[in-house]
Amino acid sequence: MTTALLRAELTKLRTVRGPMVALGLVLAVGAGIGALDGLSARGAIESHNPMLRPDFTAEQAGLVGIQYALLPMIVFGVLLVTGEYGSGMIGVSLLAVPRRGRFYAAKLTVGALAAVAVTVPATVASVTVTQLALGPYGTSPLAPGVPAAMAGAVVYLTLMCLLTAGVTVMARNALVPLAVLLPLVMAGSQILSVIDATSELSRFLPDRAGAQLTLVEPGAGDMGPAAGLAVLLAWTVAALAGGHLALRRRDV
Amino acid sequence: MTDLGTMCRVCGACDSSTMIEIEGLAKSYRHVAAVDGLTFTVPDGKVTAFLGPNGAGKSTTMKMILGLVRPDRGRATLGGLPYRELDEPLRRVGASLEAAVPHRGRSAYHHLLWLAQSNRIGRHRVHEVLEMVDLTGAAGRRAGGFSLGMSRRLGLAAALLGDPPVLVLDEPANGLDPEGIRRLRDLLRRLAAEGRTVFVSSHLMAEMAQTAEHLIVIGRGRLLADMSTADFVARNARSYVRIRARDPERLHRELISAGISATGRDDGSIAVEGASAAEVSELALARGLPLDELSTQTASLEDAFLRLTGGSR
Repeated sequence: MTTALLRAELTKLRTVRGPMVALGLVLAVGAGIGALDGLSARGAIESHNPMLRPDFTAEQAGLVGIQYALLPMIVFGVLLVTGEYGSGMIGVSLLAVPRRGRFYAAKLTVGALAAVAVTVPATVASVTVTQLALGPYGTSPLAPGVPAAMAGAVVYLTLMCLLTAGVTVMARNALVPLAVLLPLVMAGSQILSVIDATSELSRFLPDRAGAQLTLVEPGAGDMGPAAGLAVLLAWTVAALAGGHLALRRRDV
Repeated sequence: MTDLGTMCRVCGACDSSTMIEIEGLAKSYRHVAAVDGLTFTVPDGKVTAFLGPNGAGKSTTMKMILGLVRPDRGRATLGGLPYRELDEPLRRVGASLEAAVPHRGRSAYHHLLWLAQSNRIGRHRVHEVLEMVDLTGAAGRRAGGFSLGMSRRLGLAAALLGDPPVLVLDEPANGLDPEGIRRLRDLLRRLAAEGRTVFVSSHLMAEMAQTAEHLIVIGRGRLLADMSTADFVARNARSYVRIRARDPERLHRELISAGISATGRDDGSIAVEGASAAEVSELALARGLPLDELSTQTASLEDAFLRLTGGSR
């Protein structure tokens, strides 16, 4: 992989609308949900609403927005790859860069860099806006444990983006990854976690495991950020390896 | 344009003049052979037409040359190397394929820009090729909104981007109007005149044969002909004498009994092979049979191709 390839992939990324819109949504959703969550929590505290979750902490509240920013991030991971497979672009790409491993590495590197570049401000904005919305009940974004959870959020979203990209290369279309990953993240893993038979297993789903990275203070039942990172990494590496194998073997 | 001498422009170092070499190439899809043991060499610095009916295996062969499809057997090399091992291949081989099209949502300019960047080709070259194919005015428009002709020109611009010594073009005449085809022919000849090797496929066999100096004809994935266009024409474009007579049945009988090969046609005419118009005229006069038409016809190249590929799809 060379800087020439990275530049080319960056040009590809910034010159179509879809992936750029998805990246913009990561930022907007992160900050927007952060603000709404802060406001609603503040309202609950001030009215002594019993609906306020018992484990509420101002430190953790700031990272709620990032959970939702995961959705546009997954869409970004899909669009990053379907830009190649949607119309036959993959043929042009492989004519220009016939060494498929290099092409794949360049595409993923640029995708990951873009994910980091947008998740960092999204996380900072989400945490900051939530604390502002909480007002007197808020805390500093630099409170103990928060910066680490923010860094964890960046790693979480970036790895989920790569995982999605790997799955999409294997599927060669948007349908399969969107139909599997979005429902899983939005509802599936929550539902599986409350069913006794699957709750233990659901902790090892990539999104549940990765969410551990965003915990300011892991509770007794949590596997913790380190274990969560290991599980998410395993998923990501498997998806990326699968994508690589498929790309190398496949005819265009 | 560039002085080639005997040096091959692909690697600039070896003195092998052979650019595209194909040896025992084979590929099956679900046990159906698309390409079945093809061996040929595309000569340097000329237009070589790669002809065959639809489904003969032309596109699959081109995709194997360009590393997009992995052959089951055999190999295809460019200046001795498989395409997949070329660094910055756009500077060596320019290609346009139906299986390789720009992203619909990206502008023509940005499409060419990323291509140029990936092979370390200067940005000025993007403007040059846009100018060359007359797309400068549409450079900012999305490729998805282009007409067929414009898409073709964009594909050609992409192929020419790296100023490559070899061009591989799959069915560039498809869907073009007669004017478009004429311009394509001029362009192909010009590219060859600049010393480039042009390998161009078409199922419109006679159409493309007129442009090419060399022909490679395949059918059902097998080689049917590999010769210069001049040889092909000399060998295949036979002439015959066409006759219309008041009493065609009787003339037909007389011709046969005189040992002349004659075939009755559906339109009532008789086609005579192996005898000149003068001989036919003499015979008719001697038998007292009036003729309404006596003309020498040259069988078209299209007929020759159909005869050649007739048994193969």
